[in-house]
Amino acid sequence: MQDRFSSFHPIVNFTYFAAVLLFGMLFMHPILQAVSLASALVYSIMLNGKKAVTFNLLYMLPLLLITAVLNPVFNHAGVTILFYLHNGNPITLESIVYGVSAACMFVTVIIWFSCYNAVMTSDKFIYLFGKIMPALSLIFSMVLRFVPRYIAQLKVISNAQKCIGRDVSQGTILVRARNGMTILSIMTTWALENAIETADSMKSRGYGLPGRTSFSLIRFDTRDKTIFLIMLGLIAIIVTGAALGENTMRFFPSMKVPDRSPLSFIVYLAYLGLCLLPVIINAVEEIKWKRIASRM
Amino acid sequence: METYRIENVSFTFPEKEKKALADINLTIKSGEFITICGKSGCGKSTLLRQLKAILTPHGKRSGHIYFSGQLMEEVDQRTQASEIGFVLQNPDNQIVTDKVWHELAFGLESLGCDTATIRLRVAEMASFFGIHTWFRKNVSELSGGQKQLLNLASIMAMHPSVLILDEPTSQLDPIAASDFLETVKKINRELGTTIIMTEHRLEEIVPITDRLIVMDEGEIIAEGTPEQVGTALGRMKHPMFLSMPTPMQIYAGVSNSLPCPVTVKEGRQWLNTYLSGKTAASMEEVSEGSTAVVSSAAAAAISFKDVWFKHEKNGADIIKDLTFKVKEGQFYCLVGGNGTGKTTTLSLMSGIVQPYRGKVLIGGKNPAKMNVQELFINHVGILPQNPQTLFVKKTVRLDLEEMLSQSTMSKEDKARKIADIVAFAELAHLLDMHPYDLSGGEQQRAALAKVLLLEPRILLLDEPTKGLDGFFKEKLAQFLQKLNANGVTIVMVSHDVEFCAKYGEICSMFFDGSIITTNTASKFFAGNSFYTTAANRMARHIWRDGVTIEDVIERCQRSL
Repeated sequence: MQDRFSSFHPIVNFTYFAAVLLFGMLFMHPILQAVSLASALVYSIMLNGKKAVTFNLLYMLPLLLITAVLNPVFNHAGVTILFYLHNGNPITLESIVYGVSAACMFVTVIIWFSCYNAVMTSDKFIYLFGKIMPALSLIFSMVLRFVPRYIAQLKVISNAQKCIGRDVSQGTILVRARNGMTILSIMTTWALENAIETADSMKSRGYGLPGRTSFSLIRFDTRDKTIFLIMLGLIAIIVTGAALGENTMRFFPSMKVPDRSPLSFIVYLAYLGLCLLPVIINAVEEIKWKRIASRM
Repeated sequence: METYRIENVSFTFPEKEKKALADINLTIKSGEFITICGKSGCGKSTLLRQLKAILTPHGKRSGHIYFSGQLMEEVDQRTQASEIGFVLQNPDNQIVTDKVWHELAFGLESLGCDTATIRLRVAEMASFFGIHTWFRKNVSELSGGQKQLLNLASIMAMHPSVLILDEPTSQLDPIAASDFLETVKKINRELGTTIIMTEHRLEEIVPITDRLIVMDEGEIIAEGTPEQVGTALGRMKHPMFLSMPTPMQIYAGVSNSLPCPVTVKEGRQWLNTYLSGKTAASMEEVSEGSTAVVSSAAAAAISFKDVWFKHEKNGADIIKDLTFKVKEGQFYCLVGGNGTGKTTTLSLMSGIVQPYRGKVLIGGKNPAKMNVQELFINHVGILPQNPQTLFVKKTVRLDLEEMLSQSTMSKEDKARKIADIVAFAELAHLLDMHPYDLSGGEQQRAALAKVLLLEPRILLLDEPTKGLDGFFKEKLAQFLQKLNANGVTIVMVSHDVEFCAKYGEICSMFFDGSIITTNTASKFFAGNSFYTTAANRMARHIWRDGVTIEDVIERCQRSL
């Protein structure tokens, strides 16, 4: 299915991912961790479909298990000793739970990154940083234009040289190396020569005049504003919770989860809302579309 | 109102004695469509670059140029950027950004327009040029024609009052070129923008030109409506006359007192009027779409048998069931539209790619299995589409010497061989120049010389006439004919129908990955109805076999 969250303003996308990644790394509270992992899983499957399922099962699950098992083998802190290893080292309940928790956090962050990659495409990234430094955004754009172009030209030159028996794939190793250098030298000459015309084209269109603006097709509309405000609200609640010590837990020497209060439930709900935001948006849009379609 | 007034302008490049422009006087009225033509190196690009101060090369200039009544030097940068649009030759080099929409906005960003203005102008231009369907694409996905159209649109977005184009279609195939010229015409007609362009594809541009200017050696030698200029050039017996549209050339070759035709349509009408009351010369019988294969005793130099080719495993077939033979010593032309597999066929011949079914044999052997020495020394020579890709050294001389660096010949032999080639390709005066500083035609010749140093028996050419003017084409044709006479087999891929008709021996039409029809050049073009030369389209209702200009003139003269 088509992801609707991707169609929001890049700043909304970016803030969302910055928040869930940061929170995912910092908050060790089991409920919050479970919420984050589950949301990340759901969203990644929503974004990448079957590919995400195989990725999660094939790589993330083993990674989770291995990290969870490895921690207690090396970490022997904690007060609840379960049994002793042959070399006399104790295995503790705390280190096992901590291993599971750390592994969860690790996997969650990786899955969030896979979602980030699918949503934050290069042009959105360029747009965001172009806002901070306009010159940089043009450079990014030019790099994206010229790198593929140079690669294509390199191929053309290589083929032309092949036809006079002077390609990197022809001759002895020494000859090949020399041919390779020649091709690079032609490439450089070509690039410099053609860059003159590009510079002419830029000058001719007024590049270098003072007061250059930066245009983009992206607009920050009401929809972006609503979602952005909701998101900021949720983040504020979660951060307040963090400040009050609700969001994390103690593992060593003994485990201790902070006491639950009505406030903690609000924080859990806010975190669930934040993590599931794209999923909720997608679901709402889907339902809306179905209703419209059924009336048509 | 006048857009430009050029008074006594002369221009000399630094460290050069000769004037690149000499005493140019010209007034260009607002809304005019002006075409400047002339041989490469006649100063037409130099003249265009004088018309936008920011692009003017270094050098000494005298005289005055006024833009809208104001001295060029006094027009500020901002006005110049927005009011004077300049489209250059190479479509790729002018594109700066990676997205179509960003490219359209580039000029407006520089001018400091706000987002709302840019949004509107970009949208307007995209609709006017029909770009909206590929508005969000990456520029690397576009074809050459689309790229040049994008360059034009991104300049038009700044609403210039004058548009200057420097050989904008020289890198495009004929279909894309006529699309592009059609758009330029639309801009002139519907927006009233003044157009000043240089071009050597005059066939299509002359009918829509208000004023044609011919330059030679930095001077204006003829000026006026196309008819006037055509007559003047014909009277001068100037070599540029060969670039004029076919009907004008035929008209000039036949003594008559009728008005001069410019388009094929007018040419047909002219021919009918001319022949009324006369008996048309008889013609030889030609059967429609005849594929009678030319039989000759010579052995096959190249043979394709049931060849199939695709780039990717699951990709579409590029070459489909291709079977043909090129005999030794033939001058073989492959013509046909874009993307029909012509260039791929050349790659198959050179062994760069291999068919997945069928056989390609060069002199009876599979090129992909031959080693480099065997295939490319004294056997197959290939001139790539872009000759620049062959040059590796600082001067033409070093480049030619490099070619023989791996051979075991004695120094004297090498020197003699190079001297021979230099004389053959007429490169003597260019030897100490950087290959990139040569003009298109000269580059083509230098590249050809490089390839010829390997003494190929089979020469493969990919679009050798691309970007060349009529004069250099003629010269190239002479070289190829000389080579051909020495027994070199030539296979040429080309869009240039006129060139193939005039100089080719055998022509094949490529379509959808295979050859549709093959015949000797004259019979081939006589058999086609649309895909044929302008001379043939003009005269085929009377003489189907009149393929070249000379054919038609000769038949006109025979008619009594």
